[in-house]
Amino acid sequence: MLRTTLAGLRAHKLRLLLTAVAITLGVGFISGTFVLTDTMNKGIAKTFARSADKVDVAVLYNEKAGKELSAPLLQKIRSVPGVTEAQGLVRGETALVGKDGRTVGDFATIGMSVPSGRLLRYDVDKGRPPSNGGETVIDSKVAKREGFTVGDTATVLDSEERPHKFRVVGLVDFGIDQEASVFGAVGFDPVTTVWMTGQKNYHEIDIAGTASQAAVKAAIGPSYRVLTGPELGAMLAKQAGADTELIRAGLLIFALVAMLVSALVIYNTFAILVAQRMREMALLRCVGATRRQVFGGVLTESAVVGLTGSLLGIAAGVGLGQGALVLISRLNSNVAITGPSLAVRTILIGLGVGVVVTVLSALLPARAATRVAPVAALRAGLEPGGRRFRLGVWRTALAVLLASGGLAIGVFGALVMEKGQVAMFVVAFSGCVFFLAVVAGMPALIRPMGRLAGAIPARLGGVPGRLAVANAQRAPRRTATTTIALTVGVGLMSLFAVIAASSKATAAHKLDEQFPAQFRIATQSGKDLPPALGDDLRGRPQVEKVVEVRDHAGTANGREDAFMTVTASAWGSTVKVDMKTGSMSDLKPGTAIVDETAASIPGWEVGKSLRIKTRQGTVPVEIVGMYKLGEHFSGVILPEADFIRYFGKVAPGEIYVKTSDALSPDEARKIVDEAVRPYPAAKVTSTADFEEQVKRAIDMVLLVFGGLLGLAIIIALFGIANTLTLSVVERTRESALLRALGLTKRQLRRMLSIEAVVMAMIGALTGVVLGGVFGWAATSAMIEGSVFALPYLQIAGFVLLAGLAGTLAAVLPARRAAKTSIVESLAHD
Amino acid sequence: MTSTFTDPPGGVPGAEAPPAVTAEGVSKVYGTGDAAVHALRGVGVGFAKGAFTAIMGPSGSGKSTLMHCLAGLDTVTGGRIMLGDAEITRMGDRQLTLMRRDRVGFVFQAFNLLPTLTAEQNILLPMELAGRKPDRAWFQRVVDVLGLSDRLGHRPSELSGGQQQRVACARAIVARPEVIFADEPTGNLDSRAGAEVLGFLRSSVREMGQTIVMVTHDPVAASYADRVVFLRDGEIVSEIFRPTPEAVLDRLKALGA
Repeated sequence: MLRTTLAGLRAHKLRLLLTAVAITLGVGFISGTFVLTDTMNKGIAKTFARSADKVDVAVLYNEKAGKELSAPLLQKIRSVPGVTEAQGLVRGETALVGKDGRTVGDFATIGMSVPSGRLLRYDVDKGRPPSNGGETVIDSKVAKREGFTVGDTATVLDSEERPHKFRVVGLVDFGIDQEASVFGAVGFDPVTTVWMTGQKNYHEIDIAGTASQAAVKAAIGPSYRVLTGPELGAMLAKQAGADTELIRAGLLIFALVAMLVSALVIYNTFAILVAQRMREMALLRCVGATRRQVFGGVLTESAVVGLTGSLLGIAAGVGLGQGALVLISRLNSNVAITGPSLAVRTILIGLGVGVVVTVLSALLPARAATRVAPVAALRAGLEPGGRRFRLGVWRTALAVLLASGGLAIGVFGALVMEKGQVAMFVVAFSGCVFFLAVVAGMPALIRPMGRLAGAIPARLGGVPGRLAVANAQRAPRRTATTTIALTVGVGLMSLFAVIAASSKATAAHKLDEQFPAQFRIATQSGKDLPPALGDDLRGRPQVEKVVEVRDHAGTANGREDAFMTVTASAWGSTVKVDMKTGSMSDLKPGTAIVDETAASIPGWEVGKSLRIKTRQGTVPVEIVGMYKLGEHFSGVILPEADFIRYFGKVAPGEIYVKTSDALSPDEARKIVDEAVRPYPAAKVTSTADFEEQVKRAIDMVLLVFGGLLGLAIIIALFGIANTLTLSVVERTRESALLRALGLTKRQLRRMLSIEAVVMAMIGALTGVVLGGVFGWAATSAMIEGSVFALPYLQIAGFVLLAGLAGTLAAVLPARRAAKTSIVESLAHD
Repeated sequence: MTSTFTDPPGGVPGAEAPPAVTAEGVSKVYGTGDAAVHALRGVGVGFAKGAFTAIMGPSGSGKSTLMHCLAGLDTVTGGRIMLGDAEITRMGDRQLTLMRRDRVGFVFQAFNLLPTLTAEQNILLPMELAGRKPDRAWFQRVVDVLGLSDRLGHRPSELSGGQQQRVACARAIVARPEVIFADEPTGNLDSRAGAEVLGFLRSSVREMGQTIVMVTHDPVAASYADRVVFLRDGEIVSEIFRPTPEAVLDRLKALGA
């Protein structure tokens, strides 16, 4: 039996290969993920090992002991025999001021101590390390972006936001430091770093010399972690590797989607193959093969296909992983390119997943193969299609049950449940349930959907068009599985597109509703703004409204809480909060409103009073309302006059500015920029900027998701090509008849492309509808007051792309069909 | 052998008119070198307009190959074939396809119909491919004669074998082609259904002046024709006009089939 199976496989190499492609792509994704992340880890480990090489022993803060690394400790370590050099590493926020006089980036740059001797662990790209208090080095990436070079003078704000001037003496690659690579960094000599950052303690002490780990430990006691150089390197690499783990987990989720689609394609291919080889199976049964042997034969075939596909997939994965690495390293210079790392684990997982998924997918078709009666060998093969199709009672019941269940859960999650993560999970779950309903009921939907998707081609495509539309509907089960493979990818893509578009719309809407101002002024670090700024702005012409938001950390009823207030005239007009109970106008002198989390605190009810600790002692304040948490407020909101009386005229944390509508955006911006010029730390963002930022961030995520889901769609297209190829084989005589009756080769090819397009359209339309509906559900489950937006253009694009891809999938099968000789096919039995 | 020759072709319809299809020195070789098989060796034969001609011969005699070449389904190795005044052996695939679509009708032994189309759609398929408007009156007459009026909306899987072949005949005739090629049209039918189909083919020749060329190995089927041409080893070896089943059978025996 094994020999028969293998001989059969050898005879149909092309078929084997086509089937294996689906598995190859899926396994390629999985092993590519492992190769990529392993290689990245290897590169990280190497980099850290090299940098930690310079350190012989390192002393670190121990959370359990809670003892800071202080200056006296450093002195003590310096006196340990064998220690030739010891340096305390200091870091803190020190914002670099760009050439335009504003602090650079969205967050303050990190100030780091850069030792000049042996213990310098960063690569100096240009110049030299700082040697005195008037010198600084800048992170190479930041310097390039902001246009700094060696010899320039740079202004850096200290922790109190006072500006200081430094001479730039070097450009340094701080890349191996996580924080520095995210926020950007400037470096000073150790002493300067201490006063610039305001940090009194070190976060690490590096030691060079012959002193052993044990000797250092003995000298400073057990309250600190003492590591050797290699240990330090391993620890740092592990911290940096956490990112890699995240990347791996994320990629594997998409790999799972790809494997699911592969499984659908494999299942369909085997189901068609078994159906086509009924006579072959029956012949085997005639000459004495048992059911078990027929079953085993099909499974063996699937195992060989799975193995071949997986081996090719692992090879593809190495290429894919390395390719992705090159791409990533181009975007992020910290990722070093090394040779691809193919672990035994990767090979085992790839082979295991590939073979198991293939064999499992072939189980049902294999069972169908055993049901062939031996006499079927003697009967002429029945052409599929042309008969009426009925979904079985059980299947119908299952589909209806799952569909109504899924919808009910979805509606519950979207409309009834409290918004948030849990509701979103519920919606996701309902989506899965509903998808299962679609899987079960799809065969019954193929005919109506085929008529819908085929309406245009059937009208415009002439006879080939009409034949193609009929062909796409003739084997509903087969078409259903083929199209569902595409539904998965297109559905998830439209889902993300809808969620992305809705998030953008929601963000814009909320911003508009709560702060209809054009500009927001705040510091990078969240520290207070200069007290005079608000009045300065008010004094300028063309400025219509200035809203100051002040906050103060205090205690109410003995609990620590945040107190906030806004400019009195803006409350209720420019500034709005979503009230849960009470109204905004209830906020009168001597009252307060609290956020919704207060509902869970005993005594914090509307009508009760709070005892707030103020400058004038404890003051009772009545709670008159409760508001929903939003982007801007949390804690206790007080009327401005009360707030100032209780806590003094605290400098505002945020200022919102609205200028005259008559001004152009550029003119308006100029006025605000003018006002903040003396304060480099104050950062002006326009709401348009902010919306643009949000938009760009969301689009980026969408792009990455789209790229990753692209593979699932490609696999589904191989599925369409596969189904079409097998259908072409099945319909050899039919095609020959059509050709004999006067169908030209071009018409035959067109017929098959239209069939593929119709299948792709059925899959894509189903996906778009599912994605749209559950995108809506997810959006409304996400947050209160979310705005639903349908990205029409994107969705039309998906459908169009699916159609184009369908045409592409039909190229090879169509060519093959057109090449077949009419006479031979007619004689073919 | 001369004793078995029947009457000269005096009363055969259309014998004086130019033939509808002519083969001149047609040869067909499959494969090359030692493996070469000569399916046709210099066949010369004409098929009269408005006549029903049967091609007979033992298995492997080349009768199906001849028909495929005559109908433009297969290419020839040598010689030429004329359909009316057109030399089809010089046509490319596209021209051949259009020639078949516009000027030829087919009835095959099995698998004549597209399973996805109804009987009516199958009958009208060649005309639709050509973009021609069917002549409804003519369509109705053909369908009535073939007794298919109440079967037009059915798909092939809902029709009996005889009904399916009648649909195939209707499809061939509705387009009024210059010639209809039939390849064992009754091979899969029982004798009653077969007789119906053959009777219809003959009456379409007698009453409508249709030209039909039929390949068969059944002497009874051949006896419906006006003329029977015999093939052996790729050559025409004899012919009978106004055949009877017995005469055909005798001639076949004489050929050693």
